[in-house]
Amino acid sequence: MTGRTVRTGRLLALVAVLSFACAVIVALPGQSATAAGCSTSYGGTTKGDSWSATEALQRSFYDSAGPTATHNCFRLTVDKHTDLQDHERITVNWAGAHVTGGRSLNPYGESGLPQEYPVVLMECRGVDPKDYPSGHLPRGAEAVSPQTCWTNTYFQRTSSADPGHGIWEQDAASHDDTDHIQGLTGAVPGTCNVNSQFDYLITPFLAANGKSYAGCSSQAMPPEATVSSVSIPNEVYAFTNTNGAGTFPFEVRTALENRSLGCSSTVPCTLEVIPVDGIDCDNPDATAACNETGALPPGQVNTGQAPQDAVAPAFWASASNWDRRVPVPLGFSQPPSVCTVAKAGQPVPFYGSELLDQAALQWIPAYCLNKSRFNWQDNVMPDDAAFGLMQGGSAAAAEVSARGAGDTGIGYAPTAATGWAIAFDIDKPGNAGQQLSIKLDPLLLAKLLTESYPGSTAVAANHPGFSDNPLSLNLDPDFYRLNPGLDLTHWSEAAATLLATSTTSTVMTELTSYIAADPKAMAFLDGKPEHDGPYTMRVNPAYRHIKLPVDSWPQLDTWQFKAAPNSCLKAQGSSMPPYMPLVANPTTSMQLVAQALLYNWPNVGTGCTGTGSKSDPYQLGRVAPQGVGNRFMLGVVTLGDAERYGLTTARLQASPGHFVGADAAGIKAALSLAKPTSGQRPFDLTQTAIRTSKTAYPGSMVVYTAAKTYGLPAGTAGDVAQFIRVSTTEGQVPGRGNGQLAAGYVPIVSSGVTKALYDQAQHVATAVGAQKAPPAPPQPPTQASSPASPSNDVPPATTPSDAPTAPEPSTDNAPPPEKSSVTDAPVLRTAAVSSQTSAGLLIALLGTGVLASLGALAGRTALWRKGLRWLPRRP
Amino acid sequence: MKSPRTTALRGVAVVLALAVVSLFSASPSSATEYAEIEGSGSTWAYGIIAPWIAQVQAAYGMQITFNQSGSSQGRKDFANGVTDFGDSDIPYQGVDPTTGQTDASQRPYAYAPVVAGGTAFTYHVTVAGHLVTNLRLSGQTITKIFTNKITNWNDPEITQENGGHALPSETIKPVVRSDGSGATAQFTLWMDKQYPSLWRPFNGHKAGLTSIYPRQGSQIAVAQDAGVMNTIKGAGGEGEIGYTEYSYPLQAHYPVVYVENRAGYYVQPTQYNVAVALTQASIVGCSKGGSCSPNGVPANSYLTQNLDRVYTYGDARTYPLSSYSYMVIPTSKTDQRMTVPKRQTLADFLSYSLCTGQGLAGNYGYSPLPLNLVKAAFGQIEKLGPDAQGGAVKGVSIKNPSANLASCNNPTFVKGNLSANHLAQIAPQPLACQKATSQPCGDGTVPPGTNGNDGDNHGDNNGQTGTANNGSNGDSTTSDGTTPPGGSSPTTGDGTTAAAGTSADGTTTAAISPTATVLGAQSRSDSSIWGWTAVVELLAIVLLPGLYVAWLHRRRGAR
Repeated sequence: MTGRTVRTGRLLALVAVLSFACAVIVALPGQSATAAGCSTSYGGTTKGDSWSATEALQRSFYDSAGPTATHNCFRLTVDKHTDLQDHERITVNWAGAHVTGGRSLNPYGESGLPQEYPVVLMECRGVDPKDYPSGHLPRGAEAVSPQTCWTNTYFQRTSSADPGHGIWEQDAASHDDTDHIQGLTGAVPGTCNVNSQFDYLITPFLAANGKSYAGCSSQAMPPEATVSSVSIPNEVYAFTNTNGAGTFPFEVRTALENRSLGCSSTVPCTLEVIPVDGIDCDNPDATAACNETGALPPGQVNTGQAPQDAVAPAFWASASNWDRRVPVPLGFSQPPSVCTVAKAGQPVPFYGSELLDQAALQWIPAYCLNKSRFNWQDNVMPDDAAFGLMQGGSAAAAEVSARGAGDTGIGYAPTAATGWAIAFDIDKPGNAGQQLSIKLDPLLLAKLLTESYPGSTAVAANHPGFSDNPLSLNLDPDFYRLNPGLDLTHWSEAAATLLATSTTSTVMTELTSYIAADPKAMAFLDGKPEHDGPYTMRVNPAYRHIKLPVDSWPQLDTWQFKAAPNSCLKAQGSSMPPYMPLVANPTTSMQLVAQALLYNWPNVGTGCTGTGSKSDPYQLGRVAPQGVGNRFMLGVVTLGDAERYGLTTARLQASPGHFVGADAAGIKAALSLAKPTSGQRPFDLTQTAIRTSKTAYPGSMVVYTAAKTYGLPAGTAGDVAQFIRVSTTEGQVPGRGNGQLAAGYVPIVSSGVTKALYDQAQHVATAVGAQKAPPAPPQPPTQASSPASPSNDVPPATTPSDAPTAPEPSTDNAPPPEKSSVTDAPVLRTAAVSSQTSAGLLIALLGTGVLASLGALAGRTALWRKGLRWLPRRP
Repeated sequence: MKSPRTTALRGVAVVLALAVVSLFSASPSSATEYAEIEGSGSTWAYGIIAPWIAQVQAAYGMQITFNQSGSSQGRKDFANGVTDFGDSDIPYQGVDPTTGQTDASQRPYAYAPVVAGGTAFTYHVTVAGHLVTNLRLSGQTITKIFTNKITNWNDPEITQENGGHALPSETIKPVVRSDGSGATAQFTLWMDKQYPSLWRPFNGHKAGLTSIYPRQGSQIAVAQDAGVMNTIKGAGGEGEIGYTEYSYPLQAHYPVVYVENRAGYYVQPTQYNVAVALTQASIVGCSKGGSCSPNGVPANSYLTQNLDRVYTYGDARTYPLSSYSYMVIPTSKTDQRMTVPKRQTLADFLSYSLCTGQGLAGNYGYSPLPLNLVKAAFGQIEKLGPDAQGGAVKGVSIKNPSANLASCNNPTFVKGNLSANHLAQIAPQPLACQKATSQPCGDGTVPPGTNGNDGDNHGDNNGQTGTANNGSNGDSTTSDGTTPPGGSSPTTGDGTTAAAGTSADGTTTAAISPTATVLGAQSRSDSSIWGWTAVVELLAIVLLPGLYVAWLHRRRGAR
């Protein structure tokens, strides 16, 4: 778009806004004659893709003194509203609304109904006449109506009441219409359970394909309307704080998830924000239902009372409420063009890091849709296993973040600069909304991972060493000093743990290296008690002296209840599983962690269902999802997932006292600390280095494409080289299109801090493409510095540490070392790069290295004498 | 990261622009229209369903959510219309014979087999700081363990099966599933068929399978395959043994029991051993020749499995606890949840899973479906569209099964014989040390130093006889005559060799051996293991280069 058209667009917008504002003022005099300084307007522009509006709210009714009215000036902003993807979250902020009474813990779908004065957020198909000057829609555009607004259940579309007593029948805005059935026109379908005993307000749903669903029973709802499904309804009944302000992350649905609603790049939709402000009432009887002003306590959680109809959200479609809606126009991005199942050719499989997931989602179509490219397939697998598959030939390449075992002849091409984050779902106390930022340091992560927070008083009282520990993270002074203003009175098991993965992962290696680099955290892990306020916090004894880093977090706590805290465990008698691992309950992938956070559903496995009868036995399992307002859970996620799902992520401490967010600046600052190691190996980026920086994000990681530089079939070599080149050029252009770089990744480009990464990628691409013959067998001096085993063309399938043999060798009385200086060097290096799990044992290794070198000499002598019969036969 | 273009489009202008777009834009692109679908069920199968979902999302733009809630919940969710499809390891039972819970669906459905796998027994037993990795158990011993008849690891029956090497005296803690599980059902069905005199008394004298394990005594019940794996792998897992799909211990690098088969060999559930076993599965509606047809078969049993002959198959490569997992798909034309795009998505997801998706099975710890079942499953997929109950659903495009099979990248494919399974044909024979009459492979059950027979190795395929040569891979087994000759007849190994490897893929394929990743030394709680490992590594690092060079020198000298 040229500058001229941009200006034209802006002018147009301005004119439209102004003229529309005038039109509204003229058309709706009743609404404009409100509090001074509050004039209704829609589409006010602020920054970027955000959008704002103002709606003057007035409710006219009667109280004991006669006719009266309330006035509120409702101001709304959203952070984005165009180019939306499926499941994308829009942050909706408002001010000037009536405070909500009796907040619902779960605001989603029907469970959000029992509240007074909430703000209803609904996605509706079509454009709203309110957004157009004079209310005239463009020709051909579909107008929004209650019938195009999505609800997940019929309860949200159908109300019944004794004849004449429906609140909608007393709504002055609809002239007290008392027809038996309102909303539904034409014949009542047989699936509706209506009878003459009651009056009904039924809001049918009109699907995108033109089909109308009566919306009066579960049989009369569109196919996408489901209850008890895992995905959460997108319509919400959000609460307003006592100061009149509120916020909610609204998740949009496209035609992909909801065909009946049908929002897409070609079908515009509207986010209707309806502040429930009370039914207009012209009944002079102040005790009439429509004059009620609510009974549920403002600012508090509903403990099971029904709301008064006049201020309840169930009647969002009644004229008083609907007329006060604020329409936010929504635009959607083009769905990416994708491959077709039938046409896809034989895939070329790559295996490896989950960190690449979101990037791969956009990259894959750029391969299968391009005839000059191969059919790239990316499979998630732990780095070490993926590396083994690559070496064994069943993967063309491995996507890894660290060196694999026995990697002579393997090139590592930097492919993605990204990392991990600690995502959280935390609500402010008193149901005051979602906390959007927290700070964490290595000590707090160490406490969470070691299960050092008891999570409950029962555990605290019985678990050895827990008596003086804070019950959960939020009660720890170390946490609340960094993060003031959060809940200081409650505790939970979900707030006592960090949801991580159980499989081996370089992310866990990095996370535990981050802890290992922090003296305070390590002192805590070594048993140093932390005297702080009412607490003397000690590490969970099961983890005292744990050696870090580790590539998967071990579950070391074996403690069990003597008297079980719930029926499921009680039923197991003396053979309960260890308790704390059930609280930690790690998942098999980081994607499942992201999903748990997305659904506010801790993976804590101490939940108990069933009645204990034969037909309904006790079942130990996952606890229930957390209610919005009471959330407190944390998990380790990939940056790609965090960006894609709009998860909130913690700022992590770099150098002491400096907390860095998981953003591009933080990653770039970390990358500037990465040092090349050789032309083809992973860069050296240590947590020790990050600790010296005030700006480097500790969760930064680079994913490398690791492939053989000789020994690959020519076709595969060409594919891998092509992949490296494509992914480091067009694959590094940020955007949402096919082949572009998703959010959560920092582009690797030929300038700036990523230049060295870029250059190495091109270098490795050339080497992989060329597949030159293996280098000549190395000479003894160079050989001593090479960590690879002689049989590197057929390396061990997984890690090199799989053969703890009988311990005799080290107890040999070996001759004194002669070349210890030569042999010690490779020893150190090998341990550092290829065996993350035992890196903590470096000092022990050094000691054993001396012994080993003694053994080496002995062995050499012996073998020379025996004529080398034990050597593997190799061509 | 907004482009300048989008930032320029603001306010009302956006609304206008959108309206204009909607007026003038062309009809939607010709690409297949998909809609998000939701499923739930088997955690046993989740290890392969998860990568499939990731693949189809990335490559084809399908949005699929799958809640791994266990087979029982998966069947229930489907029946209640909560999901678009389910995945279950067993069919609807009507009622669970043990708990009496109702287990049926009024919603019309069909079963489509999607993957095969082995129910593995993973365990946590350490001897002198070493994690035992080469444990051998017969079916009877396993059943006795899970019915609390054998309660100590030093039980003579376990000792006898492991070459006379006794494990330490330690209480056996069986870990079972707390939730309704297809793995539990398959396992209890196998016990019921094979060892009724042990299983039924334990099960309250009731015959048949149950989805919810009747936990008793020292047994521990936890939810999901992942939960079982976490519990056993944890430091508190010492003495525990549990059942999960093979993928879980494979991904967790944790030991898996060698289970004795009818031929007297102890084998693991590799994709090959599972494939061999399932050649004996009787599939309802399929002939012995392998052709399947729904004609004359009730829809609610068509393609379900009878594994009686799998349990008792005499091939030395058979893993007896092999089975199939099934998708449960809606078949009614008027199914309330199913729209045309949803049907298309489910159909294409299944098409992907049955062909290309099967190629991933081996690496993730499963075994691909043979082609006759792939073909039959395509017949079931047709019920989402053209063959829907109550009449064809227009707009669902499903390719002719035979056309699909031609380009079906399925690794089991044998040209000209749909019922044959290539993997079963190329499956390597077990090693002599896997035979019941031989000493177990490796010496992991023996405290180091008490048996000088084998130097190292934990039952994986990396070791070589009596050396610390852990840098090399188990290719030595092909040259020392320990591999029984090919063919399906069990051979009598001579039992004299001390070869330690179980090179599952032998020389027949480049694919990596699944057993290779079941590692012993993962007990991070015990740093002494790592110390010794380090010593061995150091020795290897120090010794081998020298030896190699020396050997080179010698070779040069010989020329």
